[in-house]
Amino acid sequence: MRERAIYVAMVVVGAGAFLYPFWLPARALPERAHGTDAPLLAALIGAMVVAAIVLELRRGAINGATVALLGVLSAMGGLLRLLDLPGGGSGIFFLVVLAGAAFGPRFGMLLGLCAMATSAVITGGVGPWLPFQMLTLGWMGGGAGWLGRLSGRWPWRVEVGALALYGWVAGFAFGAVMNLWFWPFAIGSGPLSWEPGLALTTTFHRYYSFYVASSLAWDAAGALANAVLIVITGRALLVALRRFADRLAPVVQLLEPSIPQEAHVNG
Amino acid sequence: MSCFAVGRAPDHAVTTGRLHAAAWAVWAVAAAVSVELAPNPVYVALVIAVVGLVVSAHRLDSAWARAFPILIGVGVAFGVLRVVLTAATTHGGDPVLFTLPAATLPRLLGGFSVGGAVSLPVVLQAASESFAIVGLMAAFGAFNAVVSHHELVQVVPRAFYEVGLIVTVAVAFVPSTIAAVQRVNEADRARLGGRRAPRRGRLVRRAVPLIESGAEQAIALAESMDSRGFARAEATAGDRAAATGALVALLALAAAFVALVARATAVAAVMAIVGAAALLVAVFVASQASGRPRYRPRPITRRDRTVALVALGAPMLLGVRAFLGDRTLTWSTSPLHLPSVSWLAVLAVALLAVPVVVRDD
Amino acid sequence: MTEAVSYRDVQFAYPREERLLDGVRLDVHAGEVLLFMGRSGSGKSTVLRCVNGLVPHSTGGSFGGDVVVGGRSTRSYPPRKMADVVGFVHQDPEAQFVVDQVEADVAFALENLGMSPPAMRRRVEEVLDALGIAHLRDRSPASLSGGERQRAAIAGALAAGPSVLVLDEPTSQLDPQGADDVLAAIGRLNADLGTTVLLAEHRLERAAPLADRAVVVDAGAVSAPVPTAEAIAGYEGAPSVTRLGRLLGWHPAPLTVREAQRFGAPTGLERPPPATSPAPGAPLVAVRGASVELGRHRALRAVDVSVAEGEVIAVFGRNGAGKTTLLRAVAGLVSLAAGVVTIAEGRRAAYVPQDPNTLLLGPTVRDDVETTCRLLGQPAAEAADRWLAMVGLTGMASRHPRDLSAGERQRVAIAAVGVGEPDVLLLDEPTRGMDAPSKAALEVLIRGMAGAGRSVMLATHDVELAARVATRVVVLGDGEVVADGPARDVLAGSLFAPQVLRVLPPFLTVEEVAEAIGRA
Repeated sequence: MRERAIYVAMVVVGAGAFLYPFWLPARALPERAHGTDAPLLAALIGAMVVAAIVLELRRGAINGATVALLGVLSAMGGLLRLLDLPGGGSGIFFLVVLAGAAFGPRFGMLLGLCAMATSAVITGGVGPWLPFQMLTLGWMGGGAGWLGRLSGRWPWRVEVGALALYGWVAGFAFGAVMNLWFWPFAIGSGPLSWEPGLALTTTFHRYYSFYVASSLAWDAAGALANAVLIVITGRALLVALRRFADRLAPVVQLLEPSIPQEAHVNG
Repeated sequence: MSCFAVGRAPDHAVTTGRLHAAAWAVWAVAAAVSVELAPNPVYVALVIAVVGLVVSAHRLDSAWARAFPILIGVGVAFGVLRVVLTAATTHGGDPVLFTLPAATLPRLLGGFSVGGAVSLPVVLQAASESFAIVGLMAAFGAFNAVVSHHELVQVVPRAFYEVGLIVTVAVAFVPSTIAAVQRVNEADRARLGGRRAPRRGRLVRRAVPLIESGAEQAIALAESMDSRGFARAEATAGDRAAATGALVALLALAAAFVALVARATAVAAVMAIVGAAALLVAVFVASQASGRPRYRPRPITRRDRTVALVALGAPMLLGVRAFLGDRTLTWSTSPLHLPSVSWLAVLAVALLAVPVVVRDD
Repeated sequence: MTEAVSYRDVQFAYPREERLLDGVRLDVHAGEVLLFMGRSGSGKSTVLRCVNGLVPHSTGGSFGGDVVVGGRSTRSYPPRKMADVVGFVHQDPEAQFVVDQVEADVAFALENLGMSPPAMRRRVEEVLDALGIAHLRDRSPASLSGGERQRAAIAGALAAGPSVLVLDEPTSQLDPQGADDVLAAIGRLNADLGTTVLLAEHRLERAAPLADRAVVVDAGAVSAPVPTAEAIAGYEGAPSVTRLGRLLGWHPAPLTVREAQRFGAPTGLERPPPATSPAPGAPLVAVRGASVELGRHRALRAVDVSVAEGEVIAVFGRNGAGKTTLLRAVAGLVSLAAGVVTIAEGRRAAYVPQDPNTLLLGPTVRDDVETTCRLLGQPAAEAADRWLAMVGLTGMASRHPRDLSAGERQRVAIAAVGVGEPDVLLLDEPTRGMDAPSKAALEVLIRGMAGAGRSVMLATHDVELAARVATRVVVLGDGEVVADGPARDVLAGSLFAPQVLRVLPPFLTVEEVAEAIGRA
């Protein structure tokens, strides 16, 4: 019960932090505040959400196999991020989606968080955007886990197609959300800028223009590239990954001895 | 990639006289907040200079030291983008620098006009805001350059131990993953005797062995970890309490958002503080419940405390000045005038140089 | 005598599989070294993992009976609670480190057990000294050699002070130097600390002298422990001197060269005919003045080697001497800084990499072999069958390649490359982790290829294999060719002498001795 509550709260607060440009009223922040304050505060809130969700995820068992598998996949994911796919976007999405689908929502969420953190550590780039990146990738993995639970029973073409579609949408959403966060950084004033207190439609309109101007093409191509990767490798990787699902949650059956233990002759 | 320093592991915890990662974190936050409080370009330039000085004195001999110029570069890129986009879309104000051909974008792309008169105040305003962003990036870049990331992962509170461990394992696996990728890339050509393999299915032939070998190694590592006593079978009472605290924190933050929308700013601030406090308590409780000792923990020395306290003095002083109505902290371009400077604020910023001073203690 | 480890009627089956262990009973004496022998896939690993509870708690499955170690039963004690009594070391030196710094990794076990920091510090120092790796404490495991890494892994397992140490083929991925270091360290631990050691090994010539008793595991059944010499005397994978002793009726069967030298040479043994290298066939590959630079390291310096039809060339050299680079240069996988590699018109050289896993995709062994055919555009079914038979894996054709043991995977990789019918087959350390039957199959394959007018070039540390199959031997040192000549000559005059040569010169192999006896 509490588990569901916390996931809902996490989504609400996290999304609220992301989407502050749309609902933050004017004069909510002190008079002197300008463009860069809001994103930093939002980043701080994002970091708090990450901390909260990690505390919740710890409540379940995390055995050695989970840590090791997450570690190895995070290493691959972190390295994939250095690989820029044609058209932008990074290679990390397809791995997180497929691994999430193979191993479940909790694993997917952890993988998203840790892969992004690993990527920051190995590239020396711990910046204010990190909490949101971790959260978004975590959601992507967690969502893939939910989808994977459903799609496990579907014929493989349908499953891979669904995951590819999910990956495309999620990749797009990732780009759009990160862009949303960058928005106040990028524009200070004028018709493209963000100001607190504008009507919802105006804000949306402005963001749309900004997004188109800055990164729509980039994100679209990147998301598409990831979907293509899922289509190409999905079946083989899902099969390969699912073979290890046993070790993550070993089922032990202790048999009762059918004959009483004999006394050993040699003591 | 030289980032992945295989060879000497990054500096061992206690041997060098460097500052604790937590002290650096406080310092970096102090620098960032100072930029936020005093976005006057002169002050920002001063902050960047001080930060640069600290970095050159303390930077680690690893590829992560490149983070400083890289993140500054990122800030500059944002800055340029901001200036260009703002100048192209915001009109009005004089003197006008030059005039671009104006065009109105189609409805689909926004429908406003681009180009037209590019005026000096607009450009300067955008540039000054961008400069503040560069200052911010400098603070983050400096943090990345002076803190060993291994230490960072070690310093993480015990409440987040598993995530820290996962990242540690991941970093430990990076060299072997890179080697595996190189091997797999060769495998096709090897089996065909130097010929290029047809492109069809090449990606799958690369990806599957990598994933399977990686997973097998993970299982071997898991056995090694299990055999060495790693366990996290059940949550303790402390963990459950911590998770409840986390939920409370999130609810408080949500309430803060609602209060903001309802324009009850004071309530919002209170709820936000409640939320943050609840989270801190939850982290503390979880860390205590974990009861896991640290091997050779890095002690927090007097030097660390000194640096942290003095660095905090900078934003505090600036905050007081702001409260007292010091007009030099911000600079606006209408009316157009040269930015003015107050010596107290300069002194406050200079406090950020404390790590350079205590270096050879 | 107290029993350190006691298996009581242990039954076990992996999830969804047939029962593997059926009523295993074994008692291990405290302070002894017990050697586990057996083919790959015989269940050795499973039996060993019962000691600290990895089987069944980490692997899952159904478990009956009991294993008692130090008064604790693994039925109720999962591995994490056995960590202070049993230490476990795996065969893969790359996959046992949690932190990429040796000292911190060794301390991992102690952190898990909740020891106080000063006590941890003391123990880590003791353990690093016991394994002789204190000078490596700050290094990243990725920068260490295989032998050093395994010793660091042993240190990590030993940190918690267990009285029992279980090692599953710890030297199978190592070169001879590393293997020696690791086994010597294990011997010291047993002698100085009295640690009970359970050790599974294929490299019997090095491991046998360490062991007090030995058991043979076959299809999940564990034989009763007997003194090592007795167990090895009749074992298929025995070292060459032991097989020589078996042939010549020496008792007790010698395990080492030293033991064998106590026996005199049998009289009237005709010397083998002088080395006649078979008339070399048409030249297939000519390497002239090849130099290769990998980064700043000169891997090959002006190397001249030629390969003709029907030749089997063994390439020796320390790790880093350039063996792999030479093979890759012949295969066309690495660019030359100087010199030229010429392959005869219309002929091809194919390379089987050290790590066979890169060629394994699955979902079946047959698929892996057929993939090469498909890539080359050749008809798949018949060639795949033929090659699977040649490597002796016909029975495994429909299994998933990752279910196979290391030696079997090597054979799959060889079949997958060989099915392309290359004229020169380049094998890079093919015998890693191979048990005796796999090596025998490999020998048959190599001889077959040489007989069919093709040639084989193998980089190896396995002197015995080279003595049996090689026609020529090339020795590389620091990127240069140090020796190059007929196998008999080069092996006789070098450090790489096979065991039989040291005992009964000038014979190279047990088969030669048998032949000479037959002629006498």
